Amino acid sequence: MRLMRTPKKIDVNITNRCNLRCRYCYHFESAGDVEGDLPAAEWLQFFEELNRCAVTEVTLAGGEPFIREDLKEIIGGIVTNRMRFAILSNGTLIDDEMAAFIASTGRCNYVQISIDGSIPTTHDVMRGKGSFAMALQGLMTLRRHGVPAAVRVTIHRKNVSDLEGIAKLLLEDLRLSSFGTNSAGAMGLCRKNAEVVQLTTQDRTIAMETLLRLTKKYNGRIQAMAGPLAEARGWLEMEEARLEGRPPTRGRGSLTGCGCYRTSLSVRADGTITPCTMLSHIELGRINRDDLGEIWRDHDGLKALRERHLIPLGQFSFCEGCPYVNHCTGNCPGLSYTLVGEVNHPSPDACLRKFLDEGGRLPDRTLLC
Amino acid sequence: MDARNPVANPLIVLREEFDDWAILFDPDTGNAFGLNPTGVFIWKLLDGKHNTDDIVSRLREEAEDVPEDASEHARQFIASLEKQGLVGYEVIAGSPA
Repeated sequence: MRLMRTPKKIDVNITNRCNLRCRYCYHFESAGDVEGDLPAAEWLQFFEELNRCAVTEVTLAGGEPFIREDLKEIIGGIVTNRMRFAILSNGTLIDDEMAAFIASTGRCNYVQISIDGSIPTTHDVMRGKGSFAMALQGLMTLRRHGVPAAVRVTIHRKNVSDLEGIAKLLLEDLRLSSFGTNSAGAMGLCRKNAEVVQLTTQDRTIAMETLLRLTKKYNGRIQAMAGPLAEARGWLEMEEARLEGRPPTRGRGSLTGCGCYRTSLSVRADGTITPCTMLSHIELGRINRDDLGEIWRDHDGLKALRERHLIPLGQFSFCEGCPYVNHCTGNCPGLSYTLVGEVNHPSPDACLRKFLDEGGRLPDRTLLC
Repeated sequence: MDARNPVANPLIVLREEFDDWAILFDPDTGNAFGLNPTGVFIWKLLDGKHNTDDIVSRLREEAEDVPEDASEHARQFIASLEKQGLVGYEVIAGSPA
């Protein structure tokens, strides 16, 4: 498989601090939860290397990026080094001055705000009292200044019955062009709070059906790379392939999910370079000490990850006898590692057979757009 | 020597991706433009020190089977880059602007 000469995008956790403690945060209590933030000078030096490597986009995450007092300086370093940026935020610390600054750079692809409810109850229950109002205020501040704003809805046990309200709030009342969805994954704090946070099989069934219906109603304006909506689409496809007795699906039947390390890398708040935010335990090197290009091309850890796609799902006892094995990707290696301690293993959380065995039901195929 | 030598917009990022292919990335717009290996070769010589004839001469030195009308193709290519704001012209002192 061909490899780009350098990564196209870098995800950077510029801080380990956050003003909230969301009950399903994937960061805290994960391998990415490291002590101490680097000074801005370290990031600026790193951005110079990214410029030399022709990296085009940096995503700033954390922790909460807006908690950094020197965020403008950090963004300035991205702009100076010919890149664009995105910010992943809880939205609660965004003020007019910062929004105006971001707009003035002309380089922001988007600021993503997390909004998980149509009313304070369903948002604040996981993110903390008052956070809904502050997140909405942050979103409105960004829009007032013309900053491209995106919204991500994390679906959990307490907002699964609020999905219609959320879609109405975001797409009708606030007139966003679209919003993205995910679900609380079994990582970080979510693992600790799984019993109150994670979707049950029944919740998941409801979420998939509801999201497909809403996506149809709103002409595809609800998106997903993971979570119930993405699963509904992927699993319906797999079920159809099984029913029709199709030959193995191209690019499936082995550990092909998800392959982010073919286009991007991540950096923890302590400067440790990792393959992905979800694989923060795999340490590839350190910024400003190790050569990013060499890591990208030559690191054995990355090479091993890039060869995951050669491992057939059929060799895992977990997949034995599964009728979907030739149409499955094994899903996120980060989730596999968290759940079974192995990167080279299919993720049990993303298993269609397991979902059906536990009483889950796939939505009606006619709901697909 | 041509009074106007093309020079690459220094803001534009040449991102070499697979083999000798590349994209030109404009961070101000987010737009990307694909370049084939010949385009990459030309881009690297848009330093204000070479005119189109120089560039084509270098191309003939480095590559085999360069077509006779390569100069015209190179001019068109550079003109298209200029139209998209990826290339400008360095004016030599004393020459007409």
